[in-house]
Amino acid sequence: MTESGDPMAVKIRPGAADDPEQKGPPAPTMDNVSTTDEAEQIAPAATLSGAPMTFADDEVVFELDDLSCYYGDFRAVRDISLQVPKNKITALIGPSGCGKSTLLRSFNRMNDLVDTAHITGSIRYHGVDLYGDGVDPVEVRRRIGMVFQKPNPFPKSIYDNVAFGPRIAGHRGDMDELVEQSLRRAAIWDEVKDKLKSPGTALSGGQQQRLCIARAIAVEPDVILMDEPCSALDPIATLKIEELMRELRQNYTIVIVTHNMQQAARASDYTAFLTMGDDRAGYLVEMAPTEELFTRPANRVTEDYITGRFG
Amino acid sequence: MERALDDDAQRPLGPRATFDRALDRVKDDVLRLGALVEEALERAGRALTGRDPDLADKVRWEDRQVNDLQRDINTEITTLIATQAPVARDIRELLALYHASAELERMGDYAVNIAKLSQQLASEPEIPILGQIPQMERICREQLHAAMRALVDMSEDGARAVCARDDEIDHLYNSVYEDALAMMAAKPERARQATHMLFAAHHLERLGDRVTNIGEDVVYLATGQVEDLNP
Repeated sequence: MTESGDPMAVKIRPGAADDPEQKGPPAPTMDNVSTTDEAEQIAPAATLSGAPMTFADDEVVFELDDLSCYYGDFRAVRDISLQVPKNKITALIGPSGCGKSTLLRSFNRMNDLVDTAHITGSIRYHGVDLYGDGVDPVEVRRRIGMVFQKPNPFPKSIYDNVAFGPRIAGHRGDMDELVEQSLRRAAIWDEVKDKLKSPGTALSGGQQQRLCIARAIAVEPDVILMDEPCSALDPIATLKIEELMRELRQNYTIVIVTHNMQQAARASDYTAFLTMGDDRAGYLVEMAPTEELFTRPANRVTEDYITGRFG
Repeated sequence: MERALDDDAQRPLGPRATFDRALDRVKDDVLRLGALVEEALERAGRALTGRDPDLADKVRWEDRQVNDLQRDINTEITTLIATQAPVARDIRELLALYHASAELERMGDYAVNIAKLSQQLASEPEIPILGQIPQMERICREQLHAAMRALVDMSEDGARAVCARDDEIDHLYNSVYEDALAMMAAKPERARQATHMLFAAHHLERLGDRVTNIGEDVVYLATGQVEDLNP
């Protein structure tokens, strides 16, 4: 993906990722977080040993450094530093309003579509500053696909839903083959192969969501972002998507936002827990291997949340 | 019953109130199990030193209560895991309680074994009981009591202290072993009694190890780390 001729890499000027000039207003001071309790709460992402989660350089897909996300003056997410590892499923969990979705949307610049949205700090994607000058957001979104909360197939045939992206991207190969392969990878081929011309919207909710995953896969992304992909699905359809995620991670890096903690526990490799401070800005409490976070979280705030004693 | 309801009413109604109440019930049951085993052990010790076959019968008979209660605890915990999806400290606590109750049930069996040995000893000509045995029995009960205390309080320090004290029991057991062998060598006609006493001491030694297992459970519960505290 990062071979030479890369449209993102070539457009970026040298050193852009290190650009000290930050976008947006300067971060507010942290005068209000000086108490001991608060200090404990804003401990950096840590494993039980107290060390932040880091991965080998070639395993890191996203690297966030002091990322804050704003909508106008309102800071929705503050000072997040973490790494997202390759070919793994990373779950973002936390209470409503803690900025999980905002954070997820910053990974493929989806929030560019919101006029007032901006960030400070940086997100590097395979070492490239995602928000650097010359980076084409369309190309970013081709590589970093997204699946949304409600299945949103186009009002087109199943076939055209999958072929839509590749056609726009000027795919020159065998479209039938690409459609079949994408539908197979999304574990829905057998259910739709005899009705490729019928509308995608006629499928069941779980099937629609897998169709949307097939559509995301068809443009050959590197990362799939999932924002509550199962919240509108029944338990069986949910388990199917989770199994599918486990399959997909062999070829893709997946980041999922979920309210369903059991889903994060079942399906993900790493879990990042966010919550919000008195300033209502979401911050990272800890990120750890999922089995560790759900058996012996390092932070009391995490423990209270995952055991349901939050609030 | 009324009192239990009052207790419930005093607890602030958190988002996990149902689970917390159920967890408290399990804890109470495990404590009750510990108290039953402690009582059985005390009676078994008394049956041994006092040559009291009737008291020994009582220990054997009442072990059913221990077994029944342990089965109830298992069911309660299995149900909570299946229906409440506990994680982190909650799942550790349930697993620690599950394991502790299994250990307690086994300790109850040791008390029964000692009661049976006391009956066999009572059917033999009377000889003085080796003094280390009642001493071991007393320390075992103190240890069991301390371990249950540490479990309820989730006291890591208390649990570690229990595990550290197990050496006392081991030393006493070694001393019984030597004395029993010496007794057999000096007076071969006392070989049966000496063997019964050696077995009783052995059961107490095993019981002591089970107590330290509960100590390890408490350390796991408190820290999330599995440690061997009785190497």
